[in-house]
Amino acid sequence: MHEPPAGRTHVTAVLLGNPNTGKSTLFSALAGIPTRIGNYPGVTVEEKVGRFVHAGVTIDLVDLPGTYSFAPQSPDEQVAVDVLHGRMDGVAKPDCVIVVADATNLERNCYLASLALELGIPTIVALTLSDVAATKGIDVDVVALARRLGCPVVPVAAPTGAGIADLRGAIVAAADAPPPPRPDLAAHLGRVAAGRQPAEREAIARYAWIDATLDGVVRRRPPAAISLDERIDAALTHRLWGTLAFAVVMLALFTSIFVLAAPLMEVISAGMEAVAGSVEAALPAGAIRSLLVHGVLAGVGGVVVFVPQIALLFLFVAVLEGCGYLARAAYLMDRLLVGAGLSGKSFIPLLSSFACAIPGIMAARTIENRRDRLLTILVAPLMSCSARLPVYLLFCGAFVPDRAVGLPWIRLPAVVLVAMYAVGVVTAAAVAWVLSRTLFTGPPQPFVMELPGWRWPQPAVVLERVREAAWSFLKNAGTLIVAMSIVLWALGSYPKPVLPVGGDMTEAEVRGEALRQSFLGRAGRAIEPVVRPLGWDWRLGCAAIASFPAREVVLGTLGVIYNLGDVDPGAEEGATLLVRRLKAATWDGTDRKVFTLPVALSIMVFFALCAQCMSTLVVIGRETGSRLWPVVTFLYMTALAWLAAFVVYQLGTRLGW
Amino acid sequence: MVDLADGFPAPVRLDGLAVGSIGRVADVLGGDGTSLRLIEMGLTPGATVRLVGRAPLGDPWEIELRGYRLSLRRAEAARVVLEPR
Repeated sequence: MHEPPAGRTHVTAVLLGNPNTGKSTLFSALAGIPTRIGNYPGVTVEEKVGRFVHAGVTIDLVDLPGTYSFAPQSPDEQVAVDVLHGRMDGVAKPDCVIVVADATNLERNCYLASLALELGIPTIVALTLSDVAATKGIDVDVVALARRLGCPVVPVAAPTGAGIADLRGAIVAAADAPPPPRPDLAAHLGRVAAGRQPAEREAIARYAWIDATLDGVVRRRPPAAISLDERIDAALTHRLWGTLAFAVVMLALFTSIFVLAAPLMEVISAGMEAVAGSVEAALPAGAIRSLLVHGVLAGVGGVVVFVPQIALLFLFVAVLEGCGYLARAAYLMDRLLVGAGLSGKSFIPLLSSFACAIPGIMAARTIENRRDRLLTILVAPLMSCSARLPVYLLFCGAFVPDRAVGLPWIRLPAVVLVAMYAVGVVTAAAVAWVLSRTLFTGPPQPFVMELPGWRWPQPAVVLERVREAAWSFLKNAGTLIVAMSIVLWALGSYPKPVLPVGGDMTEAEVRGEALRQSFLGRAGRAIEPVVRPLGWDWRLGCAAIASFPAREVVLGTLGVIYNLGDVDPGAEEGATLLVRRLKAATWDGTDRKVFTLPVALSIMVFFALCAQCMSTLVVIGRETGSRLWPVVTFLYMTALAWLAAFVVYQLGTRLGW
Repeated sequence: MVDLADGFPAPVRLDGLAVGSIGRVADVLGGDGTSLRLIEMGLTPGATVRLVGRAPLGDPWEIELRGYRLSLRRAEAARVVLEPR
């Protein structure tokens, strides 16, 4: 039983460790949900602090970014080093350092431990993954290790909770304990060849110290047969089977977005419609009701409806990350990505961007190389996000003939859908390649990445990642989209329309006329010359302008323009109605249909490539720390979108599609 | 590959190892941030390294050392000089 040291009521402890050591799981087990999430001052590195109480002492636990050494190779690692040395504003110098060490590869983990022992701060080693180590025939003599290191060693198994209480007690006790002895490197340093860089000599001496310290403490039983770990690895990185497995995993991931998310989205759409209905019934007609229903609620509905898709994709990604597969995926994709001017580490941010570019761009923080990171951020918005999917689905379903392609079960609309996703990916590769050879030339950066052992993903960590992603979408995108919806409502409602006398128009027709005569409608007409080469009339131009701040609103805006009023094109019923109107739409004053196949394709391609998300541009500005890059992104994407839509329409019309 | 033309075996580098074979690190070249990181990850003189495999497209490579797996590109592997066998 650890008595609280007299007088001390508060301890600041930090969790330091290599990536993939179960640090996040340990953090959750010790401190639960983080109390403070935000960035460290001046950098785009997330600060994660939790709080718990033990034996009357309040402990602030800081989860430092995973790091391999104190020679930082990335902003993440720099932050860890700064916090440890008490150099980070707003974070107190730690009273206690907990080095999280993975029992399955103690040698490398002890490298960081040896560095921590030199800080002059009371240190504890939390030994994780002992159960996994046991299955590999690795046995660690904890008592001997503690004696050799000169600090307490607490074995923990966070999933079961074993050792957590002991660790809490050890933290409280350590805060007032003397700092551990510094590792004696002198003897080992003398045996290293003199002609090397001092940093390298020290690193080599450290490993010599580690080898001596762990001698006899870590016993390995040579495995009887090839371990399960190795067999899984061999299969999943195999030239044929590994690639196939990768394709299957990606296919499952994307199918889940379409198949599983759709019913959830319907439910949310229906719910929002019900809410809008009751507000409409409760209030008298007028500007306030219009603002609430068509501005605020439409905006909120447009945001909330995408949360299931984003949450689902991140659930998948978090599970893959937790089990260790994502590192293998980055390994498999590295060569391809290098061909496009990026690297394997860009894989996860780009994959995440298929749900929503915002968490994807934030995930680019794990890319140490500045150039690679910037390139990844600049092309991430080209990955077709959740908001583009309703556009693809509606236009593919309505205007692409349902013919078989090759095999009878491969339908053309599905092929075109996949093609739209491919357009984004191919364009991203091309843009990255061009930029890496022109504006961002530089030597290829090293790719040195640990391939963690296979593990069961921890539910607490997985759920935390999903929560983080959904929250960052809601907070960053959500607020702006709602604000934009209100602005758009205003631009689309004023000036008030001059209605024909004897008005027996329906509510929907009134709204349509209001939009046509409003600022937005006039803007649509003004840019008609610019969009005609794409095959669009002024109504489409109007909808496109409306969707520049947030592409989510495009179908709703089309619905209003075509006199459908409040019908929600996100739901099946509304979509059917909208499709019927679109199919019947003609160019003003003629019989010529607006929506032909080439036009549908040009719309989809435009939406695939255009930067129509102010929230993403804002996040790009934040993550790159400059206003230049969001502007560059907007300009290049819009230009590419226009060009591609132009080519597709002109080519398609000439080819008679 | 061992060249005994002048009586001294030629140094093997990590990028010359066959898949599945083992070597012992003699040196890490470069003297820059990359070589430091490779050493800090455990590629120190005397450490045993095994080439586990190569990615389907030929790069990067997967090696095993000090009880864990590390992936690195051929360019990085070329910096690791192994003891001749």
